[in-house]
Amino acid sequence: MKPYSITHRLITTVLLVELVAAVSISGAAMLYERHVRFRSFDIMLRGRADSLLGAVQDAEDTADNVMLDGTEASLPQEDIYQVEDAGGRVLGHSQNWTGMPASPTGKFFRASAGGKHYRALRIEGLRVVDPGDKGGGIPRRVTIFYGAPTERVWSEIWEAVAFYAATSLGLLAISGMLIFLLLNRGLAPLRELASEAAGVSVESWNFIPPERARMIRELAPLTAALETVLAGLERSFMRQRQFVGDAAHELKTAVAVLKSSLQLLTLKQRTALEYERGLERCQLDCERVEETVAKMLTLARAETNTTPSSAVADLDQCLRQAAQQFESIAELKRQQIFVMGDGPVMVEAEPEQLQLLCGNLLLNALQHSPAGFPVRAWVTQDGTRAELAIEDDGEGIAPQDLPHVFDRFYRGDPSRSRKTGGTGLGLAICKAIASRWHGTIEITSDLGIGTRALVCLPSASVKVAVRH
Amino acid sequence: MRVLLVEDEVRLAENVASALREGPIFAVDCAEDGLTGLHLAENPCYDLIILDLMLPGLDGMSVLRKVRARGDRTPVLILTAKSEAGSIIALLNAGADDYLTKPFDLGELIARAKALIRRGKGAADPILRLSDLQVNTVEQSVHRSGKPVDLSATEYRILEYLIHRPRVIVSKRELLEHLYDYNWEHHSNVIEAHISNLRRKLEAATQQPSIETIRGRGYRLL
Repeated sequence: MKPYSITHRLITTVLLVELVAAVSISGAAMLYERHVRFRSFDIMLRGRADSLLGAVQDAEDTADNVMLDGTEASLPQEDIYQVEDAGGRVLGHSQNWTGMPASPTGKFFRASAGGKHYRALRIEGLRVVDPGDKGGGIPRRVTIFYGAPTERVWSEIWEAVAFYAATSLGLLAISGMLIFLLLNRGLAPLRELASEAAGVSVESWNFIPPERARMIRELAPLTAALETVLAGLERSFMRQRQFVGDAAHELKTAVAVLKSSLQLLTLKQRTALEYERGLERCQLDCERVEETVAKMLTLARAETNTTPSSAVADLDQCLRQAAQQFESIAELKRQQIFVMGDGPVMVEAEPEQLQLLCGNLLLNALQHSPAGFPVRAWVTQDGTRAELAIEDDGEGIAPQDLPHVFDRFYRGDPSRSRKTGGTGLGLAICKAIASRWHGTIEITSDLGIGTRALVCLPSASVKVAVRH
Repeated sequence: MRVLLVEDEVRLAENVASALREGPIFAVDCAEDGLTGLHLAENPCYDLIILDLMLPGLDGMSVLRKVRARGDRTPVLILTAKSEAGSIIALLNAGADDYLTKPFDLGELIARAKALIRRGKGAADPILRLSDLQVNTVEQSVHRSGKPVDLSATEYRILEYLIHRPRVIVSKRELLEHLYDYNWEHHSNVIEAHISNLRRKLEAATQQPSIETIRGRGYRLL
């Protein structure tokens, strides 16, 4: 699509419409003027022809002929005429009469003489010779051809049309300029809005739409949309920046640990046993870096929707597999994982991700409850939604930490989590997976009583039934 | 010398503490959160505080401000993962003496720690001199009248502490507090033996008296 200007389009459209109107008015005016002027011209023509008939008189000869008596000389000089009697004898004609057009049809006809155009009239006249005689005299029929030049009429018509056309064109120019000015002024708030929006960058998110833009009904939706979009972008940009900063901090710390472990070994000569122990520790530090990186990648994958958009998994089975996976860890602290549920609960999600979600929640529950305390997990189905609940009797989460538990790298008690090997990404991954499959996750906790994680996912049972 | 290390990353704290104990033979106390760190720093026995910025309980910046607000002049070295100029300027303006960004070099950390302690005690030259006695804090070697004096690690540390405070009476408790970490009281009996060994080795070269014992008050390096 070619770029174009709404202003120019509007102005062009309006001017075109006006031009068509001007042309129509001029055309109509011409038709009307021609009609009116030629009607009066015809009346004049008939009057002059009648005066010419008045000039036809008895010739006072033996044959009782008629003749022109000479009064016809008072008719306008530029007119043409010819008078014939019934026998075709020419009684007289004007000096500039050059003859009849080939075949005059109708009452009025066109004629030309001496380079001029004439409109001519043909009338039949009757002159009675000797009306006082017995029998009422002798009727003599005459035919009168009378024409007058149309040049002046036409010039009057053209003058009138020219006046109308000139007036219309003048109005056209004035209205064009007015529209341009008005549109320019009317669009000023749009330009202000654009320049304000152009000032927004990742460095300065400050966007204050001009007050005028807010007050204009056509611009208000655009302004509101811009504000909403920018606010959303700013939030997500800040979240990303926070994540990058946190990730950098996390990795720098992990690398600092590894580097210092290695440098400590080279600080002085050591025994083989010391080196061996040092290397073992370095390996553990390395594993921690590895775990952090792996979790960050898992989170990134869960958040970027690269997995297929449709998959079906049995939530109950995923939970059981995850529980099995952590059985040995649970045994270390004499903990038990109770999994409850009656049969498969199909949800729309990828099995691997679902298992990761269950595993993370189970591991959290195990790590945050004291030795010997059980962890309970169950899956239920409620109409179109499947629910997964994981509950522990641990120390709980402090109310001030509860709103942040899903934040990336957030640790309620950093030093404690670091000792237990937490990266602060587990719950963020859970949240990303739940959101990825159009579900929700929430955590409720009472200090000293326990914590419960509740995941809701759209059930896939309907679709599965259809497929089978 | 005794150092307070406030760092929540346990493995890093372990490594730094080991390096400081092995390299310049400092006594090191560790705190894992800001509040404990602030509490420990109240004790005037520290010659240097190494402070991490991201701490649970109370962040490093607040610890630093509170330490400075109560008039503590102990040098503070900050460990930070942030390397933006703005945050470093804010740190130095809040009273930090130096900073290191993670991941740092342990050798550099030790060198900076030594320099900060030296500066904190008013010395610029790493080679400390008092009349005919010369202590090289880099090589950890001691010369008297040009002749090398061979000292044990503890003897060297006692001498290093005393030479920073020439001709001042240093109490036994002060000496203990600056040489050993929180369980210094266990070493209180052996300090006299170390002093007497140190005195003997220093006087062997010149027959001149070196460390004076003032009964009930402490020791003085002449």
